[in-house]
Amino acid sequence: MSFAVRLLGITKRFGTVTALDRVDLEVEQGAIHALVGENGAGKTTLMRVLYGAIAADEGSMEVEGNTVRFGTSREAIEAGVGMVSQHYGIIPELTCLQNLILGAEGGLVLKNKVAEERAQSLAARMGFTFDWHAEASTLSPAGAQKLEILKLLWRNARIMILDEPTAMLSPADAAALFESLHRLANEGATIILVTHRLPEVLDHCSRVTVLRGGRRIDEKLVVDTNGNELATLIVGEAIVEPDRSQPFEPGTTLLQITGLVVKGDHGEQALKEVNLTLRSGEVLGIAGVDGSGQRELFEAIAGLVQTQHGSMQMLGSDCLSWDAAERIRNGLRLIPEDRHAQGVVEDWSLDENAALGLQRLAPFANKGRVDGKARFEMAEQIADRFKTKRGGLKLPMSSLSGGNQQRFVAARALCLNAKLILAFQPARGLDIKGTQQVYDGIREACRNGSAALVVSFDLDELLEQCDRVVAMNNGKLLEPRAQDSLDRDAIGRLMVGAQ
Amino acid sequence: MIWRLIALIVGACAILAGAVLVAHASPIESLQTLIHGSLGTPSAIAGTLKETTPLLICGLAVFIALRAGLFNIGVEGQLLAGACCCAIVATRFHGILGMVLGVLVGMLAGALWALPAGLIKAYRNGHEVITTIMLNNVAALFAAALVSGPIKDPKQADTATPYVDASSRLPWIYSNPPVQINFALVIGILLAVGMAIWLKKTVAGYELQAVGANRIAARFAGISPQKVTVVAMSISGALGGLAGAIQVLAYEGRFYDGFSPGYGFDALGVALLAGNSAYAVLPSSFLFGVLSKGGTALQIDGIPKGITTVVLGMLILIAAAIRYRKVSKDA
Repeated sequence: MSFAVRLLGITKRFGTVTALDRVDLEVEQGAIHALVGENGAGKTTLMRVLYGAIAADEGSMEVEGNTVRFGTSREAIEAGVGMVSQHYGIIPELTCLQNLILGAEGGLVLKNKVAEERAQSLAARMGFTFDWHAEASTLSPAGAQKLEILKLLWRNARIMILDEPTAMLSPADAAALFESLHRLANEGATIILVTHRLPEVLDHCSRVTVLRGGRRIDEKLVVDTNGNELATLIVGEAIVEPDRSQPFEPGTTLLQITGLVVKGDHGEQALKEVNLTLRSGEVLGIAGVDGSGQRELFEAIAGLVQTQHGSMQMLGSDCLSWDAAERIRNGLRLIPEDRHAQGVVEDWSLDENAALGLQRLAPFANKGRVDGKARFEMAEQIADRFKTKRGGLKLPMSSLSGGNQQRFVAARALCLNAKLILAFQPARGLDIKGTQQVYDGIREACRNGSAALVVSFDLDELLEQCDRVVAMNNGKLLEPRAQDSLDRDAIGRLMVGAQ
Repeated sequence: MIWRLIALIVGACAILAGAVLVAHASPIESLQTLIHGSLGTPSAIAGTLKETTPLLICGLAVFIALRAGLFNIGVEGQLLAGACCCAIVATRFHGILGMVLGVLVGMLAGALWALPAGLIKAYRNGHEVITTIMLNNVAALFAAALVSGPIKDPKQADTATPYVDASSRLPWIYSNPPVQINFALVIGILLAVGMAIWLKKTVAGYELQAVGANRIAARFAGISPQKVTVVAMSISGALGGLAGAIQVLAYEGRFYDGFSPGYGFDALGVALLAGNSAYAVLPSSFLFGVLSKGGTALQIDGIPKGITTVVLGMLILIAAAIRYRKVSKDA
């Protein structure tokens, strides 16, 4: 048996924090090997060590039998190790071909014809089709993901690290992606899959390594384990299934949308006659592939975009004339999609960020004046709610990891008389426990009379956490039949536009 | 890595010393002249404070715009608009009425002069740097045209307005000529303190800074970046106009062609050096005042006045280096 990658005793410290503590990882040649663990378990750090983005303090690395030490990721790619990160490194204004060869043009003069031939043959090998001269901005998330994989092949990577590759994909696209990964593995490539999704591990990987708190907890053959055991290993304790036994009676209608039409950035109809009813007590999931109109729906309800036609009633009143601030005053709360750009001011302290979005409401404000003491107390509550790990409330938001920022943003939306909760991927970047805490928080608010509308690209997450799920496709909102409101197949069909 | 900072400062001093040597002067003597000329005698200090006043108020004008994420290069033009309009109005009234009207009209003129830049930025996304620079030129040329024609004092040869009546001038808080300190300085200090409190303690100040720090997050927080942009630009312009009005009512007594030696531009440095605290505009503008007054003394000694500008440039570079070092460490 030959190992493509052997990491032995890898230790990495950041200041006083030990991010990796003598971690071993051995990956067989030609395998799809899963790496799982909670946020902060050290998965990403370990992978960054492997592809040369950071240097380990201790430990040794072997790639294909040779002892290596990467100073930069360029050295790693030369040794055949490449990584596709969660945030794709694709420049939308360049063509697909230009993106593919960027940084690996192979000389000072571009040979477009030769490049295109090679690109075409790589794509054919993987069963992908590309319009090489189209702008990359026209790619779907799945297309962008495929282009990223081709970028690694272009650079002759034999060991590929994929970080949450299916986070933005529909079930069908995810299945196609795994088909290509299997094809690659059969040709001898080695794939390390970093993921939160246990079904992917069980269905597609041969081995799985579990990290927790910077240590390697266990490594298992996938055939020898199961979802429950893995979840327990990851979290370190048994998982409590969400309690959904409590029957609930939907109450009064809190949000009623009829025939809503919104124009997109390019003048196209981004929302086409959307109808939606949300009643008190309900957690409604909106499934769909990225770019199906979820963003426009979210912004229309938040009062951030102009609507063309249709009507919207919020808490019983016509709300289209209300601006975003007025909607917030009436009890609308947002958990935006991109916490970094939309949810926080990174240069500001946690304390200052606690009021963002709620700044005009008591107790944060008192007759136009900032109440600093109340804000600090609220900041503490918000940070404690989902156990945001922090150095101090006066430290800048940028000192928090992404997952902890998400905890903060979610808790802030729930902290003050939330009547209608609008959440876009509320558990983005959170681990199993964090995800459950946030959804439990949303559910608790709803059981106390609020209602929530949750957008996610992860259908399984929605099916598990919501009372009913509808789908969006190409600007239309499609409701499954009442008896199918939590049926995976029925909703999956709606997501791709089939009835 | 404190040694890098030390190296930076030593390097800056060496360049300055070298520049002074090239001008055939002794660095130590030059420094003495500079400090003596700006801080050495009561009248030198009074002169420095006089220079500090417009720098302080203009610095606050640039500062408030920066807090909202706007780079108002147009304070010079807003100052000219404010000074010119203030002189037009204040010369037509007597007593306290002339003073109050002059200040109000000056602020209004400055705000209106900044308003187009605010509107274009907010609703057409035209960059405020470009629009304010153009408005500067319009203000300078338009004011020059007015003062050489319609509003010129026919009784004198200068291209200048008549003098504002003494009863409408801002009072001295200390006057023992040549040592005089004007009430204008108090206004400037109160403005700095008031602005610091306003930014920290009011929801409006919070929202303004939210737009400056992250426009998109501000929008999601129910704040209209457009409205804030227009308001912040107008406040900034009003302060620029106020600086002009005060310059007329406190020191100059009238408006004339070539009224400002570039206070509005120096104010950019004042605000950048102050960083993110309104209180810091006080020492920052004082430092600029010292260098401006001391520079005049240097000139008398035959050393080019431009050397003080070199000093300022170095200071801003060092301040920026310190600030960005902090940012990159955070990241």
